[in-house]
Amino acid sequence: MNPQIENLYSEGIPSVRLIDEFIQNNRFPLVEPGHVTFVYRGQADEVNLRRWISGLNTAQSMQSLEGTDLWALTMELPGKSRFEYKFEVVRGGNRDLVLDQLNEVQAHDPFGANSVCQGFGYTRPSWTLHDPEARSGELTGFQMHSQAFESQRDIHVYLPARFRRNRSYPLLVVHDGADYLRYADLKTVLDNLIHNLEIPAMVVAMTQSPDRLVEYTGDLRHARFIGDELLNEMKLRFPLIDNNSARGLMGASLGGVASLHAARQYPNRFGQLLLQSGSFAFSDLGHHQKGPVFDPVVRFVNEYRKHPFAVAEKIYMSCGIYESLIYENRSMAPLLQAQGMQVKFEEARDAHNWENWRDRLRNGLSWLFPGPLWMVYE
Amino acid sequence: MVMRILLGPQSPQPNLRKAIETINPDGPIVVITAGWRDSEGEIGELSEVVGRPVEDLKLYQRAEEIYAHEPSLRDLKRERQDKLTELQRLYRIRLSATIVAARKLMRTRADPELLRPERRAAINQVRALDQHHLRRIRAIHQDFDQKRASLDIPMTMVHLDEVRRLVSEAGLVLIAGGHVAVLLNRMRLFHLGGLLQQKPLIAWSAGAMALSEHIVLFHDAAPQGKRDAELLDAGLGIVRRRVLLPHARTRLDWRNRGRMALFSRRFSPAVCCTLDNGSMIQLDDEKLIASTGSSIVARTGRKKDLSNS
Repeated sequence: MNPQIENLYSEGIPSVRLIDEFIQNNRFPLVEPGHVTFVYRGQADEVNLRRWISGLNTAQSMQSLEGTDLWALTMELPGKSRFEYKFEVVRGGNRDLVLDQLNEVQAHDPFGANSVCQGFGYTRPSWTLHDPEARSGELTGFQMHSQAFESQRDIHVYLPARFRRNRSYPLLVVHDGADYLRYADLKTVLDNLIHNLEIPAMVVAMTQSPDRLVEYTGDLRHARFIGDELLNEMKLRFPLIDNNSARGLMGASLGGVASLHAARQYPNRFGQLLLQSGSFAFSDLGHHQKGPVFDPVVRFVNEYRKHPFAVAEKIYMSCGIYESLIYENRSMAPLLQAQGMQVKFEEARDAHNWENWRDRLRNGLSWLFPGPLWMVYE
Repeated sequence: MVMRILLGPQSPQPNLRKAIETINPDGPIVVITAGWRDSEGEIGELSEVVGRPVEDLKLYQRAEEIYAHEPSLRDLKRERQDKLTELQRLYRIRLSATIVAARKLMRTRADPELLRPERRAAINQVRALDQHHLRRIRAIHQDFDQKRASLDIPMTMVHLDEVRRLVSEAGLVLIAGGHVAVLLNRMRLFHLGGLLQQKPLIAWSAGAMALSEHIVLFHDAAPQGKRDAELLDAGLGIVRRRVLLPHARTRLDWRNRGRMALFSRRFSPAVCCTLDNGSMIQLDDEKLIASTGSSIVARTGRKKDLSNS
């Protein structure tokens, strides 16, 4: 049993006052080396922990603590791990998914919010937090017509602090850019890494697809939009370094597929790829089991696996070990490397979520776009 | 005889005042802070340390103004910078392959009779690559200088005259650290090499590197881990036969003796001198007069006090 809970019961069934104090004096979930204990307080018929961890039972029953309205569950968790969860509370036949009210750490994504379990030793990287000394870049944007899609597209653009038109900048194109800004603090990360000289001042174009389940799954229209239309528009609008090495594509999940697909259609037009938890579904034998959305993804990845070739100079890949995609990513990394590209693959004790992707940005960006730290001797 | 003093980073404990007292300049003090880029000219703290009036030459701001008004020079400079950047990338590709072999040979154990000539040959390959790179860089600079001479750039000439006048009248020139390539480029733009040769100088960190013959970039503790030290460019050549290493205490992996030995032998006969906070190297022309807090990287990869070397 968790030591704090053991302590709570040290003199028998705890009173309401003792429980209140227990709640007030602890941070939840209760974290200790190698383990974490979740606590829910409230009347219920049943409480389950719903975890977004691949390979583990997604729902695990919590135990009612005798004589109280507390529910608890202790599970093994390696140090520095991080995953997202909710409680499933069953009352009178109704099942509700609720946030952990005792834990203020939450992660947000386009589907809402989840509570975040941070294992022993995990701390949020300082470079993801606002640094008052880091000069702020500017977020701007424009609308462009895409012939490929036959529709208007909104492009968000990040311009670094002290942006000047008489200089040339590297270009990074980010899929799901608005989500990266909102859920992965991309602007803060860029401001900080540029301020710390770990990446160069760069222009970042952020796209947001209205139909990513189609457009990001190996869609030729999307590749043309990114590789031709958007790139040309960015060149017209901003002073960019005219060199493939100074151009990058980035995306997470299906955004990773979209990045690799665009790079395959336009080999070496973008020298740098940053692929996070790429949904590189493939099948070695028979039909895949991932559902019809993944049909075009599997077709693309199978085809690339059959006829692989170098599509960029450098690829940074990351994936959480608590997500099912770790299998696909572990398979893709050596294949990409074997084509003569420089590939760096990083695994994290994390799952398929924006904070995982946020926490890997420093390693990815500073590897693909090394900053002037190298040149500065104060 | 002209006195030059090289210092390490001025944070946390500046030793600039002591260096100025050593030189005891006769005449105004000017400073070059172009390496600070957009923060150039913010010399409030510096003036406090110096304790007397200091004028910033504002090379960075002057250059920005020139490039804004004289597009022919700006385009020429951009063309040169693009070439240099690309050349550096190509050099890095060759360097990474060449240096791996040398490093492996520095680590490996074998019959010394067999090993020594192989090590020597491998290090010579790295040295040959560095020399080749330097020749290519010089050719790009020469091409730039020739093309620049034919340009009509009146604003550049006005600034150039003004900067040269200020330097000529100065009793001491200070050169601050910062971005070494930016600093070097701005000093080159104003043709300061020859003029500074005649002046008492105090330079720290990147400022000291810019005065040397060869500028070597290094960082064994960067976000991505160790990087191979690389030759960036030829410096102004005022400080000869020394490779200057600011922040050496934190940026170099001193525990890795083989790596450090390779570093030393690669740039020999130049002596690799550390410049950390508190370091001071005093030179009279090229002659070492005194030094404190500075070490050299010996051929063994160990530190050796510069004053005893």
